[in-house]
Amino acid sequence: MSEKAITILYIDDEEHNLHSFKASFRKQYDITITSSVVEAEQMLDEKDFCIILADQRMPGLTGVQFFEKIRTKFPKPIRILITGHTDIGAAIDAINKGEVFRFIDKPWDYKYVENAISNAYDIYKTREDLKQRNIELQKANEELDKFVYSASHDLRAPLMSVLGIVNLALLEEDVKSQNEYLELIRQSVKKLDTFIINIIDYYKNARGVPVVTDISFEELVTEVQATIQYLPEYGNLKMTTDIQQDGIFHSDVMKLRIIFNNLINNAIKFQDKNKPNPFVHLTVKSTDSDAQIIVEDNGTGIKESDQDKIFKMFYRAGATNSGSGIGLYIVHEAIAKLGGEISVTSKIGQGSIFEINIPSINK
Amino acid sequence: MEPLLNFFLIDDSAFDLFIYEKLLIKSGITNSVKTFNSARDALKHLIAQAESLPDTIILLDLQMPDMNGFEFIDEFDQLPETLRQKIRIFMLSSTIDTRDIEKAKASQHIIDLLPKPLEIPFLKKKLAI
Repeated sequence: MSEKAITILYIDDEEHNLHSFKASFRKQYDITITSSVVEAEQMLDEKDFCIILADQRMPGLTGVQFFEKIRTKFPKPIRILITGHTDIGAAIDAINKGEVFRFIDKPWDYKYVENAISNAYDIYKTREDLKQRNIELQKANEELDKFVYSASHDLRAPLMSVLGIVNLALLEEDVKSQNEYLELIRQSVKKLDTFIINIIDYYKNARGVPVVTDISFEELVTEVQATIQYLPEYGNLKMTTDIQQDGIFHSDVMKLRIIFNNLINNAIKFQDKNKPNPFVHLTVKSTDSDAQIIVEDNGTGIKESDQDKIFKMFYRAGATNSGSGIGLYIVHEAIAKLGGEISVTSKIGQGSIFEINIPSINK
Repeated sequence: MEPLLNFFLIDDSAFDLFIYEKLLIKSGITNSVKTFNSARDALKHLIAQAESLPDTIILLDLQMPDMNGFEFIDEFDQLPETLRQKIRIFMLSSTIDTRDIEKAKASQHIIDLLPKPLEIPFLKKKLAI
């Protein structure tokens, strides 16, 4: 029953009308019937209906009066009035006042009713879609707002740091310290550049057209490793990989690169300097249908209270050396776009394990 | 000769702590700068010092993880009056967001919002020295 998309509530004081309607349409629609307007209101409370059909001539309340009564509380369902010829004046009036979407003449004709229901459902669906779009739009606008706020900070802060260093360097006569300042400027510029690259990644991921190709995880990981091993933060971290790929895996290489890049970079950035053997271990197990990626490190770890927040845009967990809080957000978005999932287990002081499962994309 | 002032710098950026500590000392207005890379740590320090805290000027960053500048101010508001009286707070931030600027202006605990990078003559003017 629940598989039928169109839910209909039909109210008529004549039982046999209810039953013949149900008999005619039960295969197409999810139909609820009642001969009582009081019961009808209870049913509206309990279930979401797309369409309400009501007979005009009923004892107690007329169909139009019933619609007037429920309209404010239940604005979503599309209202259709069923009338005999004698009530046409009332029906036209109700349509003009906006109380009902349409009326159906008695005795009704199967095709005519089917058509009316189909039109009504179109309107119902359009309105619901519009509502959904509005919610999504609101969310997108809020994100944009947040994005502009945080991005402007993350773009300006390193620049202002550079300016501060320059001001300081101008006060300094000692050439040796000048070099020290240049080094700081270099780091600050680097930080800014990383942020800009992240923003571009984010944009490409969010708006770009995905390019699905055959993925070689071995190649991809080698490529990512090549770009990071000369980073000054790399230190004496030991990176090991275990890649098993059986079968052809299809995915968007850009998104996968973003995912690997960010996770491995984080493992480097948040390594525990007090541990004698800092490591990051990357495991990839891929078949032709699924890939599992695990990035494990013995770094500083993530506080339990932060673990559900780290994937949020611009959320920075308490770490001092943290970046802008966009990296894991982009990772999360990229994985979502690929139809996969990411989870984290971490203990502060011990390390973190990120596990990702993504399906192969069938071209 | 003005007496030397005590400064606290609260900023998550190690760069900025380094820069402004040097700058303050070079300027000659202080020889005592304490730096905190977390607002929470700074707050703990204030509470621990309590009555023994000398008169102090705090330069407080706004955007920080865990506890940001405004959250620090909310906590500061709960401290005993006798402690608060010893402290003058300036917000030091690169923000250009009008909501932040308004909020900083409206706060009774923030004397002023100083833009980054910190300009010593500007700070001196604000401190009326």
